[in-house]
Amino acid sequence: MSFDVPDAFRYLESHEWTTTDDPARIGITDFAQDELGDVVFVELPAVGDEIEAGSAFGVVESIKAVSDLYAPISGEVTAVNEDLFDQPELVNDDPFGDGWMLEVEPSDDAFDDLLSAEAYREQIT
Amino acid sequence: MTQTDGSPFAPHTDAETAAMLESIGVDTEADLFDIPAEVAFDGEFGIESRSEQEIRGELRRLFARNDDLTEFMGRGHYSHYVPSIVDHLSDRAEFLTSYTQYQPEITQGFLQALFEYQSMLVELTGLPVANCSMYDGATALAEAALLADRVRQTSGHRILVPEFLRDGKRSVLENYVDGAGLVVDAYPMDDGNVDREALVDLADEETAMIYAENPTVRGTIEEGLTEIGTIASDTEALFCLGSDLVALSLLQEPASVGADVVVGEADVLGLSTSYGMGLGIFATRDAFLRQVPGRLVGVGEDSDDRRAYTLTLQTREQHIRKERATSNICTNQAWVALRAAMHIASHGPDGLVDLAEDCVRDAAALADRVDRIAGYQAPVHDRHHFREFVVRSDQPADRVATALEAEGFAVHAIADHLLQICITETNAHATDELIAALQEAA
Amino acid sequence: MIYDQARYTEGDKHEPLLSEKDTTTVEVGGTDSPLPDDLTRDDLTLPGLSEPELARHYTRLSQMNWSIDSGPYPLGSCTMKYNPKFTEDVAADPNAAIHPDRSADSAQGNLGLLYGLQEYLAAIGGMDAVTLQPPAGAAGEFTGILVAKAYHDHHDNDRSEVIIPASAHGTNFATAAMAGYDVVELTADEDGRVDLEALKAAVSEETAALMLTNPNTVGLFERDIVEIAETVHDAGGLLYYDGANLNALLGRGRPGDMGFDIMHYNVHKTFATPHGGGGPGAGPVGVVDDLAAFLPSPRIEKTDDGEFERFEPDHTIGKVHGFSGNWLVLIKAYAYIARLGDDGLADASAKAVLNANYLADQLELAVPYGPFHHEFAATAGDRDAADVAKRMLDFGVHPPTTKWPEMVPEAMLTEPTEIESKRTLDRLAEAFNNAYSDTDEAIETAPSRTTASRIDQVSAARTPRLSWQALDDE
Ligand SMILES: Cc1ncc(COP(=O)(O)O)c(C=O)c1O
Repeated sequence: MSFDVPDAFRYLESHEWTTTDDPARIGITDFAQDELGDVVFVELPAVGDEIEAGSAFGVVESIKAVSDLYAPISGEVTAVNEDLFDQPELVNDDPFGDGWMLEVEPSDDAFDDLLSAEAYREQIT
Repeated sequence: MTQTDGSPFAPHTDAETAAMLESIGVDTEADLFDIPAEVAFDGEFGIESRSEQEIRGELRRLFARNDDLTEFMGRGHYSHYVPSIVDHLSDRAEFLTSYTQYQPEITQGFLQALFEYQSMLVELTGLPVANCSMYDGATALAEAALLADRVRQTSGHRILVPEFLRDGKRSVLENYVDGAGLVVDAYPMDDGNVDREALVDLADEETAMIYAENPTVRGTIEEGLTEIGTIASDTEALFCLGSDLVALSLLQEPASVGADVVVGEADVLGLSTSYGMGLGIFATRDAFLRQVPGRLVGVGEDSDDRRAYTLTLQTREQHIRKERATSNICTNQAWVALRAAMHIASHGPDGLVDLAEDCVRDAAALADRVDRIAGYQAPVHDRHHFREFVVRSDQPADRVATALEAEGFAVHAIADHLLQICITETNAHATDELIAALQEAA
Repeated sequence: MIYDQARYTEGDKHEPLLSEKDTTTVEVGGTDSPLPDDLTRDDLTLPGLSEPELARHYTRLSQMNWSIDSGPYPLGSCTMKYNPKFTEDVAADPNAAIHPDRSADSAQGNLGLLYGLQEYLAAIGGMDAVTLQPPAGAAGEFTGILVAKAYHDHHDNDRSEVIIPASAHGTNFATAAMAGYDVVELTADEDGRVDLEALKAAVSEETAALMLTNPNTVGLFERDIVEIAETVHDAGGLLYYDGANLNALLGRGRPGDMGFDIMHYNVHKTFATPHGGGGPGAGPVGVVDDLAAFLPSPRIEKTDDGEFERFEPDHTIGKVHGFSGNWLVLIKAYAYIARLGDDGLADASAKAVLNANYLADQLELAVPYGPFHHEFAATAGDRDAADVAKRMLDFGVHPPTTKWPEMVPEAMLTEPTEIESKRTLDRLAEAFNNAYSDTDEAIETAPSRTTASRIDQVSAARTPRLSWQALDDE
């Protein structure tokens, strides 16, 4: 099976992605959603909360598993994808698009330590 | 049935055992055990096998050593008449001998019964989420405190409980919350009800939860619930209300007074007197759904698009979330919940309200009769009562209780000169005799 | 063997809910009420059905439910044995139905039963003192860990960690966390047992206890138990025994002799009390002498003149249940142990182990770890264990526990117990093998002969509907 890994994004080993925009969008990868199975619940921070790179910022649940979500970057949350509360399946259907989770105002050089698409692709194959 | 060398519930004949051993490729059963000699046990327990008939006789004789007393006891464990239909139907082996519904397709019956039980609790509490059981009222209270700790947005580690609370309940609570770093403090009571002025002073931003009971352990009906709810919400503490199924049928609906969690004794229906065996209520608001301890039955669809029941939201539970689970509970009190639901259903709403109203009327009438005996004042608290009330006796309470025991009655002695008496439909026939015995003991 | 479960179907649902059969609202309060209106609720809405209607409702529900009396129920770790009928009659003795606050003098019968059961359990586990208060296995674990904590505190020995093998039951982890401990997870060695080196690396002066079940969750005896105990004890920690798997050891090994300091007994597993669709159970806790003073209160002792008394252990942790635990369950456990006696108990374990080994031998599925005792974890290999299990439902058997423990891929944790005959085991094996080798389509769409066909867990969890009120709102 092959998984989507958009080239323009940056990744964490724990399968979160971030865009390199300002604000940066954050979500979980195609590989992660496939491992989890049908997502039934997503718990996210509120707008205004601070998240910290490497720390857990939320939780994603399938019926049989719970996973912490780790922040690829630090910063203040400027938007939360509220559609996920009613339609957690968006994470499965479109993990890099409608299944996004947060928007965060990144600090400078926030993206330096993250995996490139290529490096992440290597990790999951 | 006769004594046996082996387990009477293992069906193997010698020939079958031999065939099985041969098929496995070993000589004896002992060869199947991989226990190092240094820890193997070759002693005896000294437990002699008895026949079914012998054990029934032995235990009949043993239990006959309990004095045959008419109990006027309550304080958290109550006696209501359980109709025969509850025994007969709940004892059906398909219910009694089944396991937790890990395969819902083949256990729809029990799941539906538990779903119905949850729904009855939703009606009685007014809260939209009820789990399908906790062990008992004490552990349910303790779980509520842990929930309060988890959902709390700000700091705060105090649980406020009434000064009048069963020692056992308080001890269980303290044991459960200790690991979370919570402390339990008592607020005073005012003539059997919550002292709301004192509570206002005590409740502060350190308070995670305020617990009150209705009825209280002394049988008084709480008159200030709405205010207590306001005190809780003003301090951003959760309001946890303790009650029981019969009281809930009549008294103020918990949701209407701002309760965030309802706990208490559901075993008052379905079990009757059983040396304290319980069934804990746990109901709460939607906002706390993901923090609920214990099992929840939900509705889904099967592949034929028919309604089907299943355990759901299991990611809260220990088998998935391990050390981050909302509770460690696994085995619960499902069969007791089934019985409670059957008992509720057999009463119907009219029957339940009638039963509950009798708990008020009978307590008032009996207190009145006791009060007329010289040497007793009852009720001690100038409140409405539910099932039970406190009596002041001129004689030491212990002495009165012992004298009553000699006459065939059991009541509580709760302080030097305080007795507590509980009346329900199961002992109401004996009130004349109780009054006579009290007179005697005065 | 073919099995068709009962199914009462009305349109898109099976047996209607009680609320769909009747919903009655009664006004509460008013002039006839013994209470002022501000102290009562406004109304109460519940089903109001006649006794015959209820008898049918619950009989139908019972027919739509699998049980150990229906057929094999080989859930691994759950020890689903036959529940002897006479124990129900013993527990129903009206003389035993007394209030827990009764004076000791007037409750000699109940105290005598509790005392007797304390003694039986102590002998069976090789423990010195037993409390019967915990209402289930997990509650027993919690009690045991609180006792360990109280013991360490008493010796001014503040410890912060509990070590637990990765393959342990979820309750172990949750219990340790509830008691305020950090969990240190221990991975297994290649053979599936505790890795001694890893254990040695994990213990420290922070170690309050190691929680272990033996045989472990795939049925293997921890052969190094003496060294394991030494390692933990040398570090000042205590050894806790999770009694879920005691059915493998009766009469052949006692936790107390292996170096365990604290254990719980799971009476709804080992001692055949009915599981009641999820409970009630009981989880008595036994400890060695040094820890007896910390047990919950009250315990029961026997005086020289044969009377039974309640007493409070010197440094008791207090209570873990509002009263005396699940009384009716404790009576049934006593009766079961008395029925079996020494020989019966030993035979129960012997036959439980024999049955597990025989069954495994008949299976086409591989069993990666052994030698196992009363249970084994087969692997469904490249098949989905949950799907294979669903298919088994169509063959008139309950499937094993699936996908746990995780050390076995696609695990099917199987525990037939001693109660199955060779013939039943053959049938069970056939169901197992047939399901395992069935087509993808067959296992993915199974079951079809049960009351409900495959239930969509995902939509049930995404849109929780937890009461009939929630259904009405739709
Ligand atoms: C290994 C193990 N430990 C602990 C428990 C918990 O016991 P209980 O369900 O009685 O709380 C179980 C029960 O499933 C178990 O299998």
